[in-house]
Amino acid sequence: MLGKRPWKMAAVAAAISLLVAGCGSGDSEDPTATANTVVIGINEPQHLLPTNATDSSSAQVLNSLFYPLVSFDAEKKPVEVAAEKISASKNNRLWTIKLKPGYTFHNGEPVTAQNYIDAWNYGAYKPNAQGGGYFFERIAGYADLNPLDPDGAGPEKAPEPATNKMSGLKKIDDLTFTVTLSAPFASFKSVIAYSVFYPLPKAAFSSDGVIAKGFEDKLIGNGPFKMKGSWEHDDKIVVEKYSDFKGVVPKIDGVTWKIYGDQMAAYADLVSNNLDVQTAIPTDALANAPADLGERFLKSENSVFEFIGFPTFLPQYKNANVRKAISMAINREEIASQIFLGSRTAAKAFVSPVVSGFRENSCGDACNYNPTKARDLYRENGGPDEIKITYNVDGGHKSWVDATCNQIRASLQVKCIGEQEPKFAVMQDKLQNKQDIGLIRLGWIMDYPLMENYLNPLYGTNGGSNYYGWSSTAFDTLVKQGSEASSPEASIKKWQAAEDILADEMPVIPLRYGQNVFGYSERVANVEMDLFSKVNLYEIETVV
Amino acid sequence: MFRYIVRRLLQMILTFFGATFVVFALMFANQDDPIQALAGEKPVSDSLREALTERYHLDEGLLGQYWYYMTNLLTGDLGESISGRDISALLESSWPVTVQLSFMALVLAAGLALAAGVWSAIRRGGIFDNGVLAFTLLLLALPIVVLAPVAQWIFGMELGWFPATASRNASFYALLLPAIVLATTVVATQLRVTRTSVVENLRADYVRTARAKGLAPRRIIWVHVLRNSLIPFITLIGVDLGVLMSGALVTEEVFNIPGVGSKLAQGIRTEDGPMVVGFVSVLVIVFLVMNLVVDLLYAALDPRIRYE
Amino acid sequence: MSDPTTAMVDSRPRGLAGDAWNDLRRSKIFWTSSVLVFLILLMAFFPTLFTSADPTDCALSRQHDGPSGGALFGYDFQGCDVLARTVHGAGNSIQVGLVSTLLAGLIGLCFGMAAGYFGGAVDAVLSRGIDIVLGIPFLLGAVVFSGRLSGAGDDGVTAVTLTLGLLTWTSAARVMRSSVVAAKNQDYVAAARMLGASPARLMFRHILPNAIAPFIVVMALLLGANIAAEATLSYLRVGLKGEAISWGLQIADAQKHARAAAAPLVWPSVFLAATVLAFIMLGDAIRDAFDPKLR
Repeated sequence: MLGKRPWKMAAVAAAISLLVAGCGSGDSEDPTATANTVVIGINEPQHLLPTNATDSSSAQVLNSLFYPLVSFDAEKKPVEVAAEKISASKNNRLWTIKLKPGYTFHNGEPVTAQNYIDAWNYGAYKPNAQGGGYFFERIAGYADLNPLDPDGAGPEKAPEPATNKMSGLKKIDDLTFTVTLSAPFASFKSVIAYSVFYPLPKAAFSSDGVIAKGFEDKLIGNGPFKMKGSWEHDDKIVVEKYSDFKGVVPKIDGVTWKIYGDQMAAYADLVSNNLDVQTAIPTDALANAPADLGERFLKSENSVFEFIGFPTFLPQYKNANVRKAISMAINREEIASQIFLGSRTAAKAFVSPVVSGFRENSCGDACNYNPTKARDLYRENGGPDEIKITYNVDGGHKSWVDATCNQIRASLQVKCIGEQEPKFAVMQDKLQNKQDIGLIRLGWIMDYPLMENYLNPLYGTNGGSNYYGWSSTAFDTLVKQGSEASSPEASIKKWQAAEDILADEMPVIPLRYGQNVFGYSERVANVEMDLFSKVNLYEIETVV
Repeated sequence: MFRYIVRRLLQMILTFFGATFVVFALMFANQDDPIQALAGEKPVSDSLREALTERYHLDEGLLGQYWYYMTNLLTGDLGESISGRDISALLESSWPVTVQLSFMALVLAAGLALAAGVWSAIRRGGIFDNGVLAFTLLLLALPIVVLAPVAQWIFGMELGWFPATASRNASFYALLLPAIVLATTVVATQLRVTRTSVVENLRADYVRTARAKGLAPRRIIWVHVLRNSLIPFITLIGVDLGVLMSGALVTEEVFNIPGVGSKLAQGIRTEDGPMVVGFVSVLVIVFLVMNLVVDLLYAALDPRIRYE
Repeated sequence: MSDPTTAMVDSRPRGLAGDAWNDLRRSKIFWTSSVLVFLILLMAFFPTLFTSADPTDCALSRQHDGPSGGALFGYDFQGCDVLARTVHGAGNSIQVGLVSTLLAGLIGLCFGMAAGYFGGAVDAVLSRGIDIVLGIPFLLGAVVFSGRLSGAGDDGVTAVTLTLGLLTWTSAARVMRSSVVAAKNQDYVAAARMLGASPARLMFRHILPNAIAPFIVVMALLLGANIAAEATLSYLRVGLKGEAISWGLQIADAQKHARAAAAPLVWPSVFLAATVLAFIMLGDAIRDAFDPKLR
């Protein structure tokens, strides 16, 4: 009988260890059990302070905690929300913002003009290193808060900013302030819908221009929901209805923002009804989503625009006809339906369909799949024998680059390889050093719904995301004229003319427009998502 | 014995600094542009870049950065990650769940490996032995990147036996499926090593002696043979605990557990030196203690091994 | 397995290697696994003997199509021939697996033997070195090594091989050290030492044969683990690059679409399992043949 003891002891030891390991946890609280609240999946937001929050997860959470100055109607025109009236001077340089009265922050403080001015100054002040600081660039005085290092990477340090207040912001009375821009801009009203333009209460600051420690974890906003408890990093953020809210009142009593490290895990939770809304169903789950979710699987447009750029320092792509031939060799529809399973749509313009002024197929024939014409054009113009498409491997681009290369190989009968770089930054580096990295994959998400927000950053000579170095004076002039035009309609005319130059020159190959691909559980109804990939919290409701 | 332990503890301090420096150097070698890594593909304005570079001393060389890190560490301040989170708070919130998960996986794996390993060694060449071989092959051929999602789909989503995901405060039950998946990464080697070592020892002289003495076969195997076969097994456990802790990456991602594996991966991807070194420091301490315990166990298992 | 009694009856004087070969010759397991290993190596070096299809001939229109005349295993997500890709992938997978395991084995053997045999200061330095390497997170090591070891346009095979070799030797080293520590205290070692055997002779003739069994097992498994680890590296996005084909890449890619089509996942896994099986059996047979306790 002694011989049995080690067995038993091992079994008992194993059982005890397992129990000990499992002890002290036992959290059986089911987040979906609470009556009229919903659970929405996000990633861990990088930051929640509005001026520092530029990722889509923080935008979702802030949307529940804050009430924006303006938002967009069905025609994508900006309409006042927390603002009563926003008006511009004749030359569109001086903007007057008047707030609606009676609004309060979640701690009871009234919302005043000063709250906006303080928040914006904080965001623009260089030493605060706010991720959304560049949004304030257009405001007069921004440069004084952001003196640049005179010798770049050299030994000299950048000078300290002389002031932490932008000269362009002026308080008129408690509910009115004016914004002076450094240059006229007819569509400034569209810009201030973004989350970096939210106000901050006095309680946010421990002293002038210094955010109180821990404020970000217990954010106080002016929106329909307030924080319940604090931000539980990597786990969840719970918000509940703010009873004194004066704006449009949502139908639900609260939201649990559940944080996921990986969206496949969120999908597993959605299918097993532990999550109410998943805002971005990953491509890898799309094949099963219609079967798993049925009518609770939806799509709506968003601002994502994906394309391939031609670095201008590569001589083999100097000829616009070569660029057009490569574009015609790609079957965009097939990739959108087979690789992305319909979660993207084929792009045939240089801006996203979500902005006013967008024209279907402004790219013309060059964006239509035509392998024979492509091959003839490519041969006539002496395209290179080998095409390389470089992508950053951390973005999940492998499948479509491989498929694109397969198509190019079949259409043009040249070699085509997808070249991987570990990170986007490495790609940028190689571009800056003018190394032969071939074609480069790029993408863009807009900050505000204007054609200008695609044209300027992507194709402008000084555009922040013009990594391939294309430059056209005629184009730059048209974009600038559009921004300074007298009305939004006049702006669009100029911008469309600028887009026509792109169609002639083909500096990039437009590939796809993104879509919100989302799903929801049986517990909720009326789920909508906007162009900025945010859930409409005012419409969503629970069903029994 | 006492002097041996003291000596080992002193070595630990040196090893600790060595390991943090090596990891810091590796992170530095991998540093392209942490600011861009954090921003994703959005362009970073010059103003923001300059401000962040200064705040995190990114323009300093390797030694400069390590110096800043160490001087802070010695005053008990683990610092702040590049995304602005307090590293000691991050460690505090990530370690418990990972320790729990890897400990469960280890107990499961060790239990199975010992039982099945001994049994298949006794019945060498039999059906059970071959069945176990087939099972280990299956585990080896299915890397965890396949096993974890498949297990989640079958047992979590289709059959609903387990919750599909866990969380930081997950119950024992919710962590069971991830723990089983994690256990598969180490069980194959443990099992094969146990089997081999038991087979070896079954042939040893003392077994013949014990048999001749007329001891019950069970006692011979489970007391004499097993004790003598445990050395390679224990060694593997010492290595495996660490493998499990840092290797929990895929499991943690799939089952949404915000533990050390997933945070480390995030830190590495965003080139966040201070954060990675913070996690690794704790990891190294775990290794050092584990391997000391393992070495002491050698002496306990085999009286012929002595430390002086 | 050979029967120990026959070896004892057979009393012609022979060296250890001669004995081993005599045993191996009669082992069915040895021959089966050898044939299997030979086939796998043949496939690795001459893939065109096994398939005539072009593994890079892919078309989305054939996505996830079932088996047809030319393509016995059907088509994958990109519309490539699964059989052709599996056969052509053998080369890279075997190279990564074999070379990285040999590298890891060599480092592990040296570190483990030296640490276990010499003990004292040598052991302290080597063992703490192992601890430091163990402390390096796999992902970090992989990112740094494969990132820095491979240049542009490279398929990454060398980088992945070196990465795996440099990161996986620790368990082999610790296992080796532990068996050497156990073996060197055995009576026969003490006897040999007293008879005046040199350290080298002690190490290689007396301790090594008695201490190598767990090491060989760990090696055989490490080979399989390393071939599969290449899939994990691909999942972590630091694996093979460009147009490289391998079982690991196939597995990592097909895993995402496993619910839609299982075949592209199953076939490379089967080949991987068969390879591991062959090497485990070969390892077992060789270990048995060299085991002095069987004499």
